[in-house]
Amino acid sequence: MIAVLDELVKKGKNPKATVLEAMKDSGRKAVGCFPIYVPEEIIYAAGLLPVGVWGGKTDIKLADKYLQSFCCSIMRANMEFGMKGTYDMLSAVVITAYCDTLRAVMVNWPYAVPNVKVVPFVYPQNRQGDSAFRYTLEIFDKFQSEMESISGKKVTAERLEEAFDLYEQWRALSQEFTTLAATHPVTINAKVRHYALRASYYMDKKTYTEKLMEVNQALKSMPDEQVKFKVVVTGLLAEPEGFLDLFVANNISFVADDLAQESRQFRTPTRPEGTVYEKMAWRIMDLRGDTFFYEENKSRGRMLIDMVKESSADAVVVCLYKFCDPEEFDYPVYKKELEAAGIPILYLEIEQQMDSMEQLRTRIQTFTEIL
Amino acid sequence: MKEKLFMGIDIGSSSSKAVVIDEAGKLLGSTVVNMGTGTGGPKSVIDQLMEQLKITVQDITRSVVTGYGRMTYEGADTQITEISCHAMGVFKSLSDVQTIIDIGGQDAKVIRLDRNGKVVDFGMNEKCAAGTGRFLEVMARVVGCDIGDLSELAKRSQSPARISSVCTVFAESEVISQLSSNTKIEDVAKGVHMSVATRVVGMCNRVGVAEKVAMTGGVALNDDFVNTLSEELSVDIMVPNSPQTMGALGAAHYARNMAEKG
Repeated sequence: MIAVLDELVKKGKNPKATVLEAMKDSGRKAVGCFPIYVPEEIIYAAGLLPVGVWGGKTDIKLADKYLQSFCCSIMRANMEFGMKGTYDMLSAVVITAYCDTLRAVMVNWPYAVPNVKVVPFVYPQNRQGDSAFRYTLEIFDKFQSEMESISGKKVTAERLEEAFDLYEQWRALSQEFTTLAATHPVTINAKVRHYALRASYYMDKKTYTEKLMEVNQALKSMPDEQVKFKVVVTGLLAEPEGFLDLFVANNISFVADDLAQESRQFRTPTRPEGTVYEKMAWRIMDLRGDTFFYEENKSRGRMLIDMVKESSADAVVVCLYKFCDPEEFDYPVYKKELEAAGIPILYLEIEQQMDSMEQLRTRIQTFTEIL
Repeated sequence: MKEKLFMGIDIGSSSSKAVVIDEAGKLLGSTVVNMGTGTGGPKSVIDQLMEQLKITVQDITRSVVTGYGRMTYEGADTQITEISCHAMGVFKSLSDVQTIIDIGGQDAKVIRLDRNGKVVDFGMNEKCAAGTGRFLEVMARVVGCDIGDLSELAKRSQSPARISSVCTVFAESEVISQLSSNTKIEDVAKGVHMSVATRVVGMCNRVGVAEKVAMTGGVALNDDFVNTLSEELSVDIMVPNSPQTMGALGAAHYARNMAEKG
């Protein structure tokens, strides 16, 4: 494997060690960012290190006090890690409010994890009209003050511009990486792709971006590769590792994704005009096909159909995280549209704390036998 | 010239099945051993079949393994999922089937086929035991009968008990509660069948049911359950002669097809 790619994969697999290393190297305090779309540029401009907080594999023992077993496994894991001190190195966590579980975590966090400050962050759900845009600008300002108080540093216009440019570069390189991954599915199999992208949540974005640029350069010099099956994957995220192993074992590559943890983070361009905050707000206003934002005419199905066509994929794989209500509400709508377009769909219900993969193995292998 | 023989092995969670067919696809023999993956079941079922046919495994031209234990069994040439194998087995045994309901020890599956026997869609139960043979096993133990006697018991029911819990553990408590309230055993048995049938109907509705419908797996041997499910779905359900060995039969046909293709 490409050495720098191997390095990213290792960092993606070891969140805590990677975050501690990044804190040490950058001298920045770390701020945890719950899913999704936390305005990391502001955190970075305040001299802090934004860190992804996406749960992980753990035994749930403490979190049951606040979150029942029918809450999503990502949030249960986040609460568990918080309560057992895994996040003690964070100066704060930013918690969004897209669903009932996130809202429950937001209000319970100060009691469950009193030593890690919580900063609520709430985007407008209905983005029609000028008020949503103006509201977004206001919450960016308010969020900036919160970050400044944590870091003790002012967010100057220059720092903000630098952070914005860095994140734009990261978005462009991440998109380029996913395109190159589609043409190099042996080197960048489903697991490598996931961990290489996931590393961005735990590293200093500047370091990560430099390394991703090296990876892309190396991939560009390599001949194209082929595996038997190509799929577009949609959902929150594709974990745990054993789940990704099943795709590798069945010669299935992810040629494009609509995952909240991956491409949804970097696929929407901003508009060229305006201040940094206006550009960031436009990106939120322009997000389409996303479960977590209200869209009168849901465009996710049409978007997935386009992704399948553009990437010449054989099918769409739905990674539906158990008990994720927003994702579950979307599924019947886009399923109908994909079926009408004659695109095969594999629906897989998953959670982070899965141990047995046998049923999923059978489902995935059968799907390849049908394809 | 020595006859070409093809073997299919289906290693399930609670039983192992093996089938041998000849070059023309004719069934030569089949065996079932009520021990599944992780036990001596796979070896035993093959030993018995070899003895039945007076052959050895060296006489087998090609073999395919399927079922829950297919990934860990090393004695076959290829492994294929039980969904594809059940589809193939039923397609070779019954004509015009478009929906297969397979209920084994640990899994329940609904498989939709096209007119050529190709799988076009499928659904499986979630990881809990509700709606599977294991649920029936647990309930048979609670009512104090053998799993094989559950069918005859349920047929005597006049007023089926209502078992509302879908979770096996909660349903067990519910059945114990019914029995302690002097509900007749036969009514509890029928209630258990209706409970499993309700779960399976839910899965059928997700995948869609097209006639003709066949049922396979060990639970298909329970004719009262088959009738209960037929009533719940409002369709006739066919059961092949040996519903437990459909996966192994399909695997044997896959072995034959692969040998033909070289």
